Amino acid sequence: MAIAIELKHLYLTRDDQAVLTDINLSLTERRVGLIGNNGSGKSSLVRLLNGLLQPSSGQVVVSGQAPDDGPEAMSDLVGFIFQNPDHQLIFPTVIEELMFGLRNQGLSKADARLRAEHCLREHHRLDWAERAVHSLSEGQKQWVCIMAVLVMNPAVLILDEPFSALDLPTRQHLTGWLLGLPQQLIMISHDLEVLARFDRLLWLDQGRVQGDGSPDAVIAAYKAACAEGFFL
Amino acid sequence: MMTLYIHRRSWLHRLPAGLKLLGLMAASIALYALSWPWVSVVFLMLVMLAYRSLGDHGWSRLWVIKPLIPMFILIFAVQTWSQSISAATLMLLRMLTLIWLANLVTLTTRMDAMMDAVMPALSPLRLVGVAPHRIAFTVALFVRFVPVLMAVLNSLLEAWKSRGGGRAVWRLAIPMLINAIRMSDHVSEALAARGGIHLPDTPNV
Amino acid sequence: MKDQALVQIALYAALVAALGLIPPVPFVTGIPITAQTLGVMLAGVMLGPWRGLLSMLLFVFVVALGAPLLSGGRGGLGVFVGPTAGFFIGFPVAALVTGWVAQLLKRQPLLLATGVGAFTGGILVLYLFGIAGFALVTGNDLLRSMQVMSVYLPGDCVKVVLTAIVAQAVHRGLPRAVATRQA
Repeated sequence: MAIAIELKHLYLTRDDQAVLTDINLSLTERRVGLIGNNGSGKSSLVRLLNGLLQPSSGQVVVSGQAPDDGPEAMSDLVGFIFQNPDHQLIFPTVIEELMFGLRNQGLSKADARLRAEHCLREHHRLDWAERAVHSLSEGQKQWVCIMAVLVMNPAVLILDEPFSALDLPTRQHLTGWLLGLPQQLIMISHDLEVLARFDRLLWLDQGRVQGDGSPDAVIAAYKAACAEGFFL
Repeated sequence: MMTLYIHRRSWLHRLPAGLKLLGLMAASIALYALSWPWVSVVFLMLVMLAYRSLGDHGWSRLWVIKPLIPMFILIFAVQTWSQSISAATLMLLRMLTLIWLANLVTLTTRMDAMMDAVMPALSPLRLVGVAPHRIAFTVALFVRFVPVLMAVLNSLLEAWKSRGGGRAVWRLAIPMLINAIRMSDHVSEALAARGGIHLPDTPNV
Repeated sequence: MKDQALVQIALYAALVAALGLIPPVPFVTGIPITAQTLGVMLAGVMLGPWRGLLSMLLFVFVVALGAPLLSGGRGGLGVFVGPTAGFFIGFPVAALVTGWVAQLLKRQPLLLATGVGAFTGGILVLYLFGIAGFALVTGNDLLRSMQVMSVYLPGDCVKVVLTAIVAQAVHRGLPRAVATRQA
């Protein structure tokens, strides 16, 4: 299944500021990384892909579907993982958190529960079902966030700095797991080691694509630019 | 920072806050004490003229009452039906005058100037252990917390929508509250680590 | 008063402000309901009567200073002389009574104690202030004022139920956060 994300002549303006300027991209690779300094527009770019933001002009198409109708309509196709698990976890127990997306997809409570339990069982974590989410460690919480999205079976997974708040071993463990998933991954990260394992790396700066290609080349260019000088 | 104050050079801006507050109180009393209808009309015109003194677009500020218009219509209708058109008109005139006048004080007075003017009146609170500088600090904390809570709510809303969440958005009050409580614990710890809330000119040693 | 108490007071005032910035939701009755009074009742339940009172006094104070924190972005001195002034001025007492009643019933199941507290404070007391204020400002008699304000009742009753549900959910995760349930 070839998932293509197409961005054509994309412009985004917010509060009279140009956030993204003339973005033209065709993302077919399985693992696409996104790098850039704060304010580069990368968070806005990925939010255009699932409809959380709408472009000022231009086209967005994700596997034949345009996110015009908003994120709810895209939620079957595109899963989104945010940076802070505390701002994503809505329900008290792990199983309820997993059931949420399934219920929104139209499953009955019983079916959603079965699917959620099956999912946990597959990952050898059925004992987590009734655990309170707030009793979990940061890494465990983020795992639950990812599971709550994966259980909905999306084709594309977008991750906005998902592991920033985690310690190194947890980050490595979760990254390894992510890279083995069948979904297409679009991930924003500041972790150059992780991004080096991706198929394609996009470097965004001030709303434009500054670099695009193999991670090694783009990382080298990005590092060079950072060394040259940084303007607040 | 979110405030209704607008920065202009007008004679109202130059008046001290305390004087404006006293003037507002005096005007309110006068408006209701003097029951001749023409008094209300004159007051209203004076207030509307005062808006003109705010400079260009001064009169556009009169639209502050826009969200109340449906209610005004309802009240006017009810009043006309139960009493008389003249009673309803008088009531409406007074209400408009008072709202516009009070709003004018807000538009032309900085929040900190307002607070300084009112602080002396709050000094009796020392007796229950609340010193004025602590009130000022709590106000600052409050103002600081609002955008943070809004951001938390927005993040939760994004996550909710991204998983196809429906109309039961009230559920987000729960994680929002939990996040807020945790945040207040962190802030308390940070404050304690810096020695707590002290008087502005006392070093936190 | 301890620093920690002041932080909590500031926090719940900010919560009420944040809830007020959420756009009103259309309700079945056609009257849009705002989330703000949910925060008022929660302040009473979570902080207890006295800190709840202080928290709402802080909120009302800052609105009076000129912050647009009432539902719809309203604020400043103008809101204290309008027809709905009673409702805002009633926030502190509503929180006080909510907390007080919830605390009185602390041996009862949480949902019940919180629900009754929220109803007493958030509806009975708040509407008392609101109706009195309306009557005073518009010159209508109390009966007429009650009739006008009753359109908001269904939405506010829903909020009473939500207050109880939210308080219970938070209590499960952070039992010490609910002051009206402490021994």
